[in-house]
Amino acid sequence: MLLWLVILFPLLGAALNGLLLRKVSKTVSHIVGASALIASFACALTAYMQMMSAGGEGQVIFGFDWLEAGGFKAPFQFILDRLSGMMMLIITGIGSLIHIYAGGYMHEEKATWRFFSYLNLFVFMMLLLVLGDNLLIMFIGWEGVGLCSYLLIGYWYEDDANAAAGMKAFLVNRIGDIGFLIGVFLCFKFFGTVSFSELKDIIINGNALTGPQLEAVSWITLALFIGACGKSAQLPLYVWLPDAMAGPTPVSALIHAATMVTAGIYMMTRLNFLYFLAPDTQMIVASVGAATALFAATIAIVQNDIKKVLAYSTVSQLGYMVLACGVGAYAGGVFHLFTHACFKALLFLGAGSVIVAMHHKQDMQEMGGLRKYMPITHAVMLVGVLAIIGFPGLAGFFSKDEILWKAWIGGGPVIWGMGAMAAVCTAFYMTRLLMLTFYGPNRSDHHTREHLHETSAVMWAPLVVLAILSAVVGYLNVPHVIPGLPHLLFEHYLSPIIHVPAAAAEHWPHLTATYSHSLELGLMGISVLGMFLSAGFAIVLYKNGPSPTAIKLKKSFSGIHKVLTNKYYVDEFYFKYIVDPLKDMSLFLWKIVDTVIIDGIVNGIGQAFMLVAGLTSFRMSGSLHRHAMVVMLGIFCLLTILLF
Amino acid sequence: MPTSESYLILATIMFGCGVFGVLFRKNLILVMMSIELMLNAVNLVFVSATQTLGNVDGQVMVFFVITVAACEAAVGLAMVIALYRKYGTIDTDFLRVLRG
Repeated sequence: MLLWLVILFPLLGAALNGLLLRKVSKTVSHIVGASALIASFACALTAYMQMMSAGGEGQVIFGFDWLEAGGFKAPFQFILDRLSGMMMLIITGIGSLIHIYAGGYMHEEKATWRFFSYLNLFVFMMLLLVLGDNLLIMFIGWEGVGLCSYLLIGYWYEDDANAAAGMKAFLVNRIGDIGFLIGVFLCFKFFGTVSFSELKDIIINGNALTGPQLEAVSWITLALFIGACGKSAQLPLYVWLPDAMAGPTPVSALIHAATMVTAGIYMMTRLNFLYFLAPDTQMIVASVGAATALFAATIAIVQNDIKKVLAYSTVSQLGYMVLACGVGAYAGGVFHLFTHACFKALLFLGAGSVIVAMHHKQDMQEMGGLRKYMPITHAVMLVGVLAIIGFPGLAGFFSKDEILWKAWIGGGPVIWGMGAMAAVCTAFYMTRLLMLTFYGPNRSDHHTREHLHETSAVMWAPLVVLAILSAVVGYLNVPHVIPGLPHLLFEHYLSPIIHVPAAAAEHWPHLTATYSHSLELGLMGISVLGMFLSAGFAIVLYKNGPSPTAIKLKKSFSGIHKVLTNKYYVDEFYFKYIVDPLKDMSLFLWKIVDTVIIDGIVNGIGQAFMLVAGLTSFRMSGSLHRHAMVVMLGIFCLLTILLF
Repeated sequence: MPTSESYLILATIMFGCGVFGVLFRKNLILVMMSIELMLNAVNLVFVSATQTLGNVDGQVMVFFVITVAACEAAVGLAMVIALYRKYGTIDTDFLRVLRG
């Protein structure tokens, strides 16, 4: 029952704001939107506590019979276990903080009812995605969050660029969704069910899989992974996420950093028993993850828009999570999802505060020295940056090094190397962001500088909560090599969810093997050292704004710099080889096939009739009497024939 | 008492007058009156048939025809008024919108 409340509160909030409260003041829509989420969070927390105190066993909560056709059954039911419970808490908890913050951020806007209505609807869809017990309910949520994402990216739809960004996100996601759907269909064809619990039963406890089934698993996992690539912004479908920053910043924090983009990682973790069975797919997953992590991190180095840096950083961090899934370290991936949700939401909201203070200027070249004007924002951003770059002791350190370690033992040195390089880049660009924004002289114009001030409490209070979370949540999963603390709590917590099928155990020796602590410590040392060096380098280059050395470096590597600034020309490539040919084809279909051929046939038939009619219509005088005469003559002739 | 033939002859004459009116009168109101005349010629045939055949079916039918004729007259006259308001005339020579 509680679980239903968790889901229905955001829907209620969306309905209230969207249907009834369109004319009321902004404060009311803010209060309705935020309190719907807080109520949902309270229910979620209670439900979660009940579940955990009952032993943490997964519960299936039956709603109603939904789809039934022949042997196919997909009841509308929810699953509440350790994984979905945790996701539910992240979504509603961080969602609440962001909703509170959004009231301050959207203060200047008109029509905030629309904003809060969409945002609540998003949370509803996301909860559906996470809590659904079968792939079809997940798919509803999957599409629903995509829709809300589209609506919110285009929130300021008067500007064409924003509307285009929304459409781009929607269309690119559609490509992934086709993969997802194919995965669902294949799953039903070969296993006869789309329910997570039944699938798990078949694979873990059932008979050995037949040959075709085993082969199908590879395709199912691959198809679903294409869906994950779209939603979780992996190569080659990541292009929508940087553009999605056109939406309001709380949207970027909630949807495009903390929750929606992690749906792919959630889905793969939910189906981990399937993915374990397909080592080939897992190899692809790990490679895509590692490549994305490094690729996006290099782009982030040269971006000047504060939100663009964070966007590419998000893509890169999602790459880490996918990499973790690929090497079978699902707990590590989900743990990074959790810590990332905290510190990336913090970073986005902090950037949002900066943007509000700067009157919606986002170019870091015009910032600088904001530490003086916004001390609280500076402090929390500092925590966020230290957390994401993996400063020892903060959240990112534990979660990222866990993934890198698993990448080494599960994926080998190349995968590890890519991850570590990405970590070094992360340290560089995040430090650069911090330096350019908060340190050095202020480079904004006089007018902007005069109005620089700390934001209101409704905006910085959620930031402080998130900063505390970013600092401490890492201790939930301390690796074995660090003595004196409880070890790997999170991994143990999640272990009932992770099942390596007996048939696949041979492919995953590193999950059970033990390794020397010195190797793990050594790798950790390398990545921490790399992090310090590159962060230090960034401090030297940017502590007083872009230093002459930085400008000289930019000049001497102008070729690379240009490629990076233009994001490897991926958008241009897609436009040239996919979008433009499609447009040309559509133009051909429109101008030639439709206008000339189809319209030609249809209009030709009409014109033929007109022509024939034109030849005979001179007989029509329009005279009433002549018409009547003809009728009479006709009747006379008919009667004559009939009677005689 | 007149024979049934004489009724039929009268009805035929009335009907012929009606047809003639519809075909050759220019005034729409007269055209409508001619239509009424044709209807009543038919009524006369019905009534005379009742007398010759000895059942009331024809008379029942006449009531229907009268009712319908009343409706037709009402609608028709309304249309004539509407036409007059729109074109300023009810002379059929000037009402030639359907000319091809």
